Amino acid sequence: MVNLTIDGRPASVPEGTTIVLAAATAGIALTTNVGCMGQGVCGACRALVRRTGEPEVRTALACETPVEDGMQVSFLDRVAPRRPHAYSETDLVDGWTAYERVLAVFPEAVRCRHCSGCDRACPKGLEVQKGVNLAASGDIAGAAAVFDLCVMCNLCVAACPEHIAPNHLGLFARRLAAAGTQRPADLIRRLHEITSGAMTIDADACTDKQP
Amino acid sequence: MNPTEIPAAGIPWSEAIAALDGGSAPPPAITDAQPLLRHWHPDHSAGGPRRLAVGASAGQDCPAALADLLQADALIDDIDIAGCATVSTEVLVIGGGGAGCIAALTAAEAGAKVLLTTKLGLGDSNTVMAEGGIQCAVGAEDSLQTHFEDTLRGGQMAGDRALVAALVGDGPASVRWLIERGMTFDMEEGQGPSGRLRRKRAGGTRVPRILSFRDVTGLEMMRVLREAAGLHPRITVWNRSPVVELLSDETGGCVGAVIYSLHLHRFVLIRARSVVMATGGAGRLHLNGFPTSNHLGATADGLVLAYRMGARLREPDSFQYHPTGIAWPPALRGQLISEAARSLGATLVNGHGHRFVDELSPRDVVAAAILRECGEGRGVLRDGCVGVLLDTPALERARPGILKTTLVTLCHLAHKAGIDPAREPVPVYPTLHYQNGGIAIGTDGGTEVPGLYCAGEVSGGIHGRNRLMGNALLELVGFGRRAGAAAAAFQPVRPSGRANLGHVQEWRRALVAAGLPLDVKAPVLFPPIAGFDLAADRALGRSDLSARSLEAALQVL
Repeated sequence: MVNLTIDGRPASVPEGTTIVLAAATAGIALTTNVGCMGQGVCGACRALVRRTGEPEVRTALACETPVEDGMQVSFLDRVAPRRPHAYSETDLVDGWTAYERVLAVFPEAVRCRHCSGCDRACPKGLEVQKGVNLAASGDIAGAAAVFDLCVMCNLCVAACPEHIAPNHLGLFARRLAAAGTQRPADLIRRLHEITSGAMTIDADACTDKQP
Repeated sequence: MNPTEIPAAGIPWSEAIAALDGGSAPPPAITDAQPLLRHWHPDHSAGGPRRLAVGASAGQDCPAALADLLQADALIDDIDIAGCATVSTEVLVIGGGGAGCIAALTAAEAGAKVLLTTKLGLGDSNTVMAEGGIQCAVGAEDSLQTHFEDTLRGGQMAGDRALVAALVGDGPASVRWLIERGMTFDMEEGQGPSGRLRRKRAGGTRVPRILSFRDVTGLEMMRVLREAAGLHPRITVWNRSPVVELLSDETGGCVGAVIYSLHLHRFVLIRARSVVMATGGAGRLHLNGFPTSNHLGATADGLVLAYRMGARLREPDSFQYHPTGIAWPPALRGQLISEAARSLGATLVNGHGHRFVDELSPRDVVAAAILRECGEGRGVLRDGCVGVLLDTPALERARPGILKTTLVTLCHLAHKAGIDPAREPVPVYPTLHYQNGGIAIGTDGGTEVPGLYCAGEVSGGIHGRNRLMGNALLELVGFGRRAGAAAAAFQPVRPSGRANLGHVQEWRRALVAAGLPLDVKAPVLFPPIAGFDLAADRALGRSDLSARSLEAALQVL
């Protein structure tokens, strides 16, 4: 059995158990800061983790982190950015002015101190600071790629002393890149065939016999 | 068939690995899947189904555990909501997954004031976990008609033709809508953003039709939708606010809901002109004792409440058991391995190293075939966990590098299991994945209850008795938009001032008349593993909040 402490409560669970499941056995109600229960994609189960013999407190997603003996865990509520970085769909369309809007919506981005707080905070090991710097220098597609696997847990929001909201900046870059540039030829052709009436559905035509 | 009844007989892991040669002969062809499904699919488990005795679908069968909740008493009574704070909105959207966000965005874009309430956090849902992709007939060799027929046949011809036609016909416009909001799709190798979309094949389809973003399509979709909904000036979001009951007027129309705030430990009444139910499915009920791939919140809450109010159900006895949940280790059992692995060519083999089913048959057929192998002693046993093998090493040998580049989530899960999928096969066993049926809807998402709309997994009629890969994400976009637009446009015939629990009183009379117990309460809100106790949680409540400060407190979460 592995013994650890979660939110101040002792837990004793078999090896291989994830922190989330250990929390349930410790009597902690799983009603918030929990979601996908192991896939590690919803970003809800943010936790601070200190391991035996390590002075440093690290971040983790509790659903994909196995327990270790002597581990101390605290769950973290979602940290909202200090102010919302607001924009609308109409801001996404024009690639020529995308960089201007990045600077206007995320003015803090150019003030990055290069402290790598966001990098250390990211439980997915993304190069968050690099992504921020790419966006701030106008490389929207480069920034978008850095945040490919971001789960929007907002831990980098909590870590940034300049209130850049790095993951939201990264998502803005991703949305600008997609909405501004992606124009699939096959999709456009199919949309034309449908709107022109050339392609329709005969809902009565199908029988259960395979063709 | 119940998994607990599976004989512990099977082939030990080491023997099964030794039998694995990667060059297995093609599987036997299945000409008629019905006998296999009837004998091995959990929908047909003996002693499992129960006939509903009350409600609009009385006489229909559904799994016993679900029937208990559908025929349960309400969690609250008039006395619980007397003096409760009340807020008003035009459109109330219940559920913060893909369908809820899209319905909210569509209603807000039509000019409506929208309140979206969600049990956990915005976006914490099954949508974010979707890996495979979204079906859309864009291929030159494909057509809307082919997609329509594949969907209808995949659902054993039980789907509603008008709904299926709407689903399929909306496809290309739905994908455009997603791109316009900033969702990225993979393009064909070597092609820029104006090239052709990359397409994968789904089980039960004739042509490749799955569009995706790597194998994290749901994550890519959900983070865009969450941001868009969160930033929209006409949408207010209340997190940690599970719905406990709907509100009715004297004509039986739906005019709002009661939520329980986990933050304030109290009930709040929401009056609305119309309501969109988008609460998802029921995997966390672990029907027939199966593990589940589902999110913690999938406890059929919306299904139960809509049914209590008079909405009709479709195929409530039909659930999807995804063929490839991971079977070992026990801590991860039930977590999903995307169909993308089989779509790219990975085979399934039993303990003798033999393929036993065409891996790209519809999911119900593949799942039933796996249960047959395990039930007849040809499964593989590892630490008491039974399953069959997904031959990932053979896939990696045939297409070197494919695991790392394309099956990111599979590698991530295998890593957590301590398996190197390039060298070792992954043991798999069916996992409860999706509610095929649900609340009966029309093509505008409307139910038989005036003012109540449904979108996403909670609704029924589209997938018949078996959903194809990629049609869930397509459904939540198309029908999220349809329900959101219709809810925004809805005007009650006779606007009434009343909003109360009148329908609950009628429901109780029906339960008593049918001799059903009143001590079972639903919705359950959280599965037992969450350790939530509503009465204990309410005792923590604060009573010193004015309506204004309460609204402010709910919005900042």
